[in-house]
Amino acid sequence: MMNELKPADLSELKRAEAVSPDPINPKIRTLQVIDTDFHFSPKWDTLRNYLKEPFKSRLFHFPVGSLEYNPEPANEKPGVGQDTHGTAATGADVLRVLDQFGTDIVVLNPGYNRPQAIFNEPVIAAIASAHNDYLIEEVFPASDRIKANLMICHRDPQMGADEIRRVGHHKQFIGVFTSFSGLFEPLGCAKFDPILDAMAEHDLVLTSHSEGWFPHFSPLWTGARTWIELFGNAPAGNAMAHLAAMICQGMFDKYPKQKVIFQEGGYWWLPDFMLRLDDFFMSSSGDIALVERKLASGERNLKKLPSEYVLEHVRFSTQPITIPKNRKHFAWMLELSHAADLFCFSSDWPHQTMDPANWVVENPDCIGDEMQKKILSGNAHKLYGSRLQYFGVTQDGG
Amino acid sequence: MSEYLLGRIDEFPEGKGRAFTAGTRTVAVFRSNGKVYAIANRCIHKGASLCDGMLAEGGKVVRCPWHNWAFDLESGEQCLDRREKIRTFEVKLVGDQVILCA
Repeated sequence: MMNELKPADLSELKRAEAVSPDPINPKIRTLQVIDTDFHFSPKWDTLRNYLKEPFKSRLFHFPVGSLEYNPEPANEKPGVGQDTHGTAATGADVLRVLDQFGTDIVVLNPGYNRPQAIFNEPVIAAIASAHNDYLIEEVFPASDRIKANLMICHRDPQMGADEIRRVGHHKQFIGVFTSFSGLFEPLGCAKFDPILDAMAEHDLVLTSHSEGWFPHFSPLWTGARTWIELFGNAPAGNAMAHLAAMICQGMFDKYPKQKVIFQEGGYWWLPDFMLRLDDFFMSSSGDIALVERKLASGERNLKKLPSEYVLEHVRFSTQPITIPKNRKHFAWMLELSHAADLFCFSSDWPHQTMDPANWVVENPDCIGDEMQKKILSGNAHKLYGSRLQYFGVTQDGG
Repeated sequence: MSEYLLGRIDEFPEGKGRAFTAGTRTVAVFRSNGKVYAIANRCIHKGASLCDGMLAEGGKVVRCPWHNWAFDLESGEQCLDRREKIRTFEVKLVGDQVILCA
């Protein structure tokens, strides 16, 4: 029971100190952190200067593909879904956010995925080239902590390949960005081989990023009405479709060095996915001989079990992480999903579901010191190799 | 439980959060509809500072600045799942001085 306070007693009270708390766990700032998914959005006026003609003089506004239905207006907080936590449009913007969140190296993704839904491939390709040139000219020079996935028009594989060959040699491009958006067929189909041929020449990682709820690309989602269905659930189904095609249509047999990182399509589904594909492979793999790549090579089947391709070729960025309350369940989920080897930390800044790295170090009963380092940086180093080098912090976080 | 002096009431603008350290705790303090509330500063979802949150629902709840989770300022309950709760602290006004019991 508190004693009644009188004004005369106040001078004897302790004074609480007003503070600006840092929400980032202090341990994060002692470890090397690589953010594998960070969205970068140049201003249209800036980007337009890098457009080639005739696009520069004909495109007055940033073109966005139709979503047909987008539940964002129902969110109380303005900007929820896209630039909720800010906008990074310059190298200085990026570095400021890295310092805020304790990040050492970042992999930029194009902040605007919706142009991929425009039904005009040359326009997408022109925007992609402008975006890449802006990065090279004005953003990369800010710091070698900044790396990026180069943007392409992935719906036209030859245009995509041309852009990779044009700029893929730049040492700060470490991968190629594709999203589930804008595709009627999964990226594992042989029609996308021109992109993979060009990537192989430059040893680039394929990024396969969430989206694809656009109803005209996935008719099933025409019936979805809510944010949870479209943004929370749809990406996982799409990720599985893309990955199954990559495996079953022989992409990894044709491109044995190709690595892929899936982003925002989930991963807790992996245990069932791997068991199920292996089981079906054992009983019904006859039609694998009939896919384009196998017909061309004359091979009759896959060279490995489907699950082995996942472990060897595929990694998953972590955002958005969902953590069950039951500690045993979380530990099992991490183990069954091979998190120690497959997970690469990502924030997805500045989107609404952005994850700071706190969770990696705040569950030590499930994620020990060694796994923390692998998720925060070690697995990304293995994935990207020497392209991830920079001269600030050592790989051990020292 | 100790009592801490936070400052004069006019140093707490309506609708805006401020954070204080009181012993080992960091507490977010809000003035809303003339009343002062104190809650644990750290969001139970992913650790954001609730002092940077936005007041909503007529000033009855604070929304986390990172992922929009909403907490009742009076009870500390997560508005969509009342079983989830953040800690609340008593605040007293003595004259024009705000006192935190934490």
